[in-house]
Amino acid sequence: MRTVTRIALGTTRSVRGRCSPAMAIARMNHTSSINPDEIAHFSRLSASWWDEQGEFGLLHKMNPVRMQFIRDKLLEISHEEDAENVRNGGILEGKDALDVGCGGGLLSESLARLGARTLGVDASLSNINIASLHASSDHWLNGLEYRHMPAEDLVKAGRQFDIVCSMEVIEHVDNPANFLRSLAHLVKPGGHLFMSTIARTPLSYFLTIFMAERALRLVTPGTHTYSKFINPSELLELFQEDLGWLSRSYHGTPPRTEAEIQGIAYLPWKGAWALLPKTTPGSMECNYMFWARKPLQDDGKHTT
Amino acid sequence: MPFARIGQKSWKSGQIVPRIPKRCFSKAAICRQSGQTSSPLDAETHDVVIVGAGAAGLALASALTRPSSSARSCRIALVEASDLSKVREWSLPSDQYSNRVSSVTNRSLSFLKTCDLHSHLNQTRTNSIQEMEVWDGVSDARISFRASELLGREHSTNMSTMMENLNLQRSLLKTLQSNSSIILLDKTKVDSIAKPNDDANSWPLITLDNGRVLRARLLVGADGFNSPVRRFAGIDCYGWSYDTQAVVATLFHPSRSTGNTTAFQRFLPTGPIAFLPLSPTISSLVWSTKPHIASSLRSVHPDVLSLMINAAFRLPQISLQYLYDYISEKGRDGLQVERNELADEIRWREAAHSIQPYSALSSTSDKQGDISEGFDLLPPLVEHIQAGSVASFPLRFNHAETYLGEGLGSRTVLVGDAAHSLHPLAGQGLNLALGDVEELASCIDDAISHGIDFGSRTALLPYVRNRYFENHKVMSAVDKLHKLYSSQLPPVVWARSVGLEVVNELDSLKTALMLSAGADSRTTPNPWNAAADGVTLVNNGIEFLKTGASVISGTVGSAVRNVLKV
Repeated sequence: MRTVTRIALGTTRSVRGRCSPAMAIARMNHTSSINPDEIAHFSRLSASWWDEQGEFGLLHKMNPVRMQFIRDKLLEISHEEDAENVRNGGILEGKDALDVGCGGGLLSESLARLGARTLGVDASLSNINIASLHASSDHWLNGLEYRHMPAEDLVKAGRQFDIVCSMEVIEHVDNPANFLRSLAHLVKPGGHLFMSTIARTPLSYFLTIFMAERALRLVTPGTHTYSKFINPSELLELFQEDLGWLSRSYHGTPPRTEAEIQGIAYLPWKGAWALLPKTTPGSMECNYMFWARKPLQDDGKHTT
Repeated sequence: MPFARIGQKSWKSGQIVPRIPKRCFSKAAICRQSGQTSSPLDAETHDVVIVGAGAAGLALASALTRPSSSARSCRIALVEASDLSKVREWSLPSDQYSNRVSSVTNRSLSFLKTCDLHSHLNQTRTNSIQEMEVWDGVSDARISFRASELLGREHSTNMSTMMENLNLQRSLLKTLQSNSSIILLDKTKVDSIAKPNDDANSWPLITLDNGRVLRARLLVGADGFNSPVRRFAGIDCYGWSYDTQAVVATLFHPSRSTGNTTAFQRFLPTGPIAFLPLSPTISSLVWSTKPHIASSLRSVHPDVLSLMINAAFRLPQISLQYLYDYISEKGRDGLQVERNELADEIRWREAAHSIQPYSALSSTSDKQGDISEGFDLLPPLVEHIQAGSVASFPLRFNHAETYLGEGLGSRTVLVGDAAHSLHPLAGQGLNLALGDVEELASCIDDAISHGIDFGSRTALLPYVRNRYFENHKVMSAVDKLHKLYSSQLPPVVWARSVGLEVVNELDSLKTALMLSAGADSRTTPNPWNAAADGVTLVNNGIEFLKTGASVISGTVGSAVRNVLKV
């Protein structure tokens, strides 16, 4: 529990002083982890979601790497369990997938293209509108649906999914521990949770805030809040001690079949993101991918 | 360097007109407005619409539908203005060859094999090149490449394979026709391309001249160097016309005991002349030369042209210049050039240059044959030329500023001649196009397997990154070679000759040159790197000479600089 408190503490103060009418409404909803400032911020930017050379250009380039991580991990696990029946092509075919904080739908579209019945949810209505509009032009996206709602509402409705993704979201929510508990609820037993976020290190401050936002203006200043960044060890502790998803860990490394963390980095000379080898020193000091699997037998450690 | 034939030219005889504007597009302007185009609702949606069914377009369609491709379930449409049944039913007797041939490198060939090229390719009409002889028309400095000596056993003894473009295209077309996921729309022109409501994010609508509207996730311009797709995408193109025409013909000659597997190329100051083997007794000519010489060569009787070709591989420049003037003066006066008169003239010139009748350099004596010393350094003597095979086309250097459309031109990508055209002296035009196609197909494959929209900029950027600089290196190396060998200035001739002879003595460097020119089917990196570096080195030497010359004398210096503008 100690770790969970630390996560919560690190994020209760909103550094930015933006205020909006949505804020008042959101305050009434105590169960929601949604931060109204963040929603207002991304709603303003929503029109540029699909401008691949604009605000979200780096995110577009990150998408293939996220998908690679998701696909490879699913393949690895399915190989582990049933080596004879691995379907290399359609590992996502027919699976139920949820994308929490789908934004313009970058990841949702990719999941749907690979055959998953995908639901994208976002707290910003304008994001959902942009995402729906964009998806309507692609005839490959039949199994894709978007809804304007917080993840907590899906928990209340008792929905569960084979795959739950939440990419670059947790560093924007108010109470990450609660948010993670909600995500955990939405995963079917034996299902998979994928996240990507940013570690809270001097390197990540330098790259994501100083360079990307201030010096190079690749991202609108104010997009990231340093204190909201979360370290891999903090995530792992929450999943082990609070949610009980991990049986043990070896010097902070979880068993390969229960959870995995892999750093990713943008390589300017290649113009692309890449998954970093796990042995690279400092590979998890900035952007990283996280995967954990919900145990088939729920041992009841969950607290809501 | 391997050489060869290229070009947008009709396989029929005569002046070759760049094929694209007429072939692919009707007169209607390529517009970006949405005013007169149909709404997306009337449109058939396709994943890939390829405009132009030349070698590049056909190869791309084949690559996307091969069994190993993730794109094999995509809907693909191939639009072509001409009648593809002419390609499908193309056939020539075994003693006749199309004048439109290409040198396909081993690397290109192994890619084409993955597209099932060989099930329909007529392999008796292909010929492997195992040796190359390249020499300087002014100094006679020479470089020889022999695949068997340089590449060793583990490599193929082929440097490249000569084949008729129509043989290649027919084979790809037959493979495609057995595939139901491809829609072939031949005898169909593109009327207009537009984005609905001028929305850059929407998919392009391609209106055909029969009223059909295709909506494309990805529009591929494989429509040649005047590419209307490139114009729609708003991609600028830079380049220039060389003051050069290429004369092509199918040549008949006696067979040699050593076989006909050597390609010959002599760099004349007017441009290189190349002799490319197609069968034991048939070879193809690509003679790049000044436009006025090209037009005289095309207007003379084929028997006279045979004499000119034999002389052009053998006589010194001063006599060749005389012969060019001789035939063009006759032509200007409306007189026929008599074969015997020209033969006498050449015989006299050979005597004046002390070329003995039994020497390999003599082209007029019947004593010459396989017994002459050094006969294998020169091509066999041309006896006659296939009727109707003489043609010519202009040479250009052109490179699009990018291969990927932006804004209103998004979801558009260029391959092959639509993206770049270059001098045929290294025979790289088709090979660059196939390199483009291979890379684009692998980008599309990669995007699909990661669930990425392959029409998006993110998915296509690796294609541009991997091809643009690669193509540019080859193109500028070839361009600089052309310019380097256009000069007759003694210091330039000396520098390039010493360079060539030094390289000729270094087997390891020659091996590197051959491998980088695509002789190895396995490796992929750095084609022409070594060649490009070599040319840059020579070029730097000339820059140095340029500086020296301008310091030494004012007026003479500026004249030298003009000539030396490489």
